[in-house]
Amino acid sequence: MAARTGGRFDLGRAATADAAAAVLPVRHVAGVRTIDYAPARLNPQPSRSYYFWMMAPAIVVLAAISLYPFFWLVWMSLHNVEVGAGPDTFVGFANFERLFTRDRKFWNGWSLLLQYSAMCLSLQIVLGVLLAVILNGSRYEKILVTVILMPMMMAPVIAGLVWYYLYNSTFGWYHWLLQSAGILGETSIVGSTSTAMLGLVIVDVWQWTPLITLITLAGMKRVPRDQLEANMVDGAGELRNFFAIVLPNLYPFLLIAILLRFMDNFRFIDVALTLTGGGPADATNILPVYLFDVSFQYFKLGRGAAIALTLLLVTILLGMLLVRLFEGPQSRRADMGSEG
Amino acid sequence: MASRDVVAYRSPLTTALHVAAGLFVAVYLAWTILPIFIMFVSSFKDLLEAFKLPAVGDWGGVLVFFDFTPTAKHYFNLFGQLNFATYFRNSLAAALGSAVVSVVLGSMCAYALSRIDFRGKKDLFFWIISTRMAPVVAVMVPLYAIFRNLELVGTLPGLILAYTTFNLPFAIWILKGFFDNVPYAIEEAQMCDGATRLQAFRSILPLVAPGIGAFLVLCVLFAWNDFLFASIIGSGGAKTLPVATRELVQPQNIQWGSIMAAGVVTTLPMMLLGLLIRRYLVTGLTMGAVRE
Repeated sequence: MAARTGGRFDLGRAATADAAAAVLPVRHVAGVRTIDYAPARLNPQPSRSYYFWMMAPAIVVLAAISLYPFFWLVWMSLHNVEVGAGPDTFVGFANFERLFTRDRKFWNGWSLLLQYSAMCLSLQIVLGVLLAVILNGSRYEKILVTVILMPMMMAPVIAGLVWYYLYNSTFGWYHWLLQSAGILGETSIVGSTSTAMLGLVIVDVWQWTPLITLITLAGMKRVPRDQLEANMVDGAGELRNFFAIVLPNLYPFLLIAILLRFMDNFRFIDVALTLTGGGPADATNILPVYLFDVSFQYFKLGRGAAIALTLLLVTILLGMLLVRLFEGPQSRRADMGSEG
Repeated sequence: MASRDVVAYRSPLTTALHVAAGLFVAVYLAWTILPIFIMFVSSFKDLLEAFKLPAVGDWGGVLVFFDFTPTAKHYFNLFGQLNFATYFRNSLAAALGSAVVSVVLGSMCAYALSRIDFRGKKDLFFWIISTRMAPVVAVMVPLYAIFRNLELVGTLPGLILAYTTFNLPFAIWILKGFFDNVPYAIEEAQMCDGATRLQAFRSILPLVAPGIGAFLVLCVLFAWNDFLFASIIGSGGAKTLPVATRELVQPQNIQWGSIMAAGVVTTLPMMLLGLLIRRYLVTGLTMGAVRE
């Protein structure tokens, strides 16, 4: 690994000299072995502009498809933009004012989004960690983990459709199961305001618990063995070992998992759109779904942009937190030495 | 655990715990596999057979599920009447196109980022990752407005560009971690041997090739599974599998057999790809924050 200080490359010089000696012509002048070498070519370092040119295409493309749209988004949020409704007019902060003061669905959307995420995450963490603890070090760990991560590969919209079928009140197997167990009545789980959210949570738990298990398993492999053994010598059982040593070591990993899942709940609404479309009676109208409806059902793009900006802002704040954590659990980036 | 041998001692409590753990895993496995299994089996059922359910509370009637004559007619229907071959091609072109663009541009950028330092690098990095994390719906509002002006809505290039909004930052971010692990000394030695800078860059590519390949596959997976971009930006000329499947849900007539078959067609390739890159999955899905 190139140990770098202050942007210069130090390590590797020794290796370079060796490599150079191996290829440069060796001559014998008057019995003395000399080596021809051109000092200017030793230790070459491409100019900085070379690296900037390599970066340029990606940065330009990325700016075109993310920075430029971002300014559009800001512009749109200050205008009344409606598809097929004449020219866009400047309205100042009216879109935001409407959201913050009069739009009940906006606040309802945020509160539902938080409820939804909280329910999903708490279930996923409990199930995922439990599963990881049981599977860790077991004989069948590899094959079982491979099986349980299958749902993650499924397109969310397909998952939504399959569960729509399973939940169906006349021919859905899961509905039959819940009905036979006496939990549900005639109405499907996604058909009533009190249970619809739970229906969405179940799908998310089904699809994304394996991610928590995978992350936890990766974390458990890094629990310092000596700490565990020291604790056991002190007479701790497996259970106490878990709570005293394993779990605290897992916290940073779990935090990453929580943040990632939280942001994914902002990003993906495929399941909600397929299963409930925000209904019944707005019971599952989480903010991204509401945003989708405002923008692409009613085509009020100006108001949509204002909602999108608030969503983006929260995502960016969460992202900052996540980037902080990247340097945490494995200090992987720290030992690269390049980001001082 | 090394010390387990020393303290291994079976009390009734630990035995009970082990049994409970085994049961939990068994139930979890059933819960994970059942929806996929039902999708798979139902895709081979006639509509009437797919709708057969035992009476409420009749637990013994579960076997009705297996009471059917397998038929592949839904698959024939998909590829014969419903044009799914075209949608499959669209999905493949859009996913592969954006993955290749992202990985080629991304690896160049990641390489350069891993080799130099400059002021504002951290900010640049944060901008890149926040682009990846941005909510799809939020990105789509302005993107739709822009693409509409450029007449890119409903075209494959438009869809590829839309997928690049999340695949390119992903590729840059994750590949930088890979290039960071390749010592600069290798390129330096190459250049001493007379290689040009570009040749030196090419010479280290084999070292990162497995990672690049795995993340190319992951980019394909992200794009293939997308529904939102495809339904808005791709609607019309560039219909992909998830959108086409979703459109089989019509208010009056839901073609469940075809939907399940389309689900299998959409899901199966991705599950196989997922197995292929199993080793890189955790790194990819956590944006490199966690490695196995």
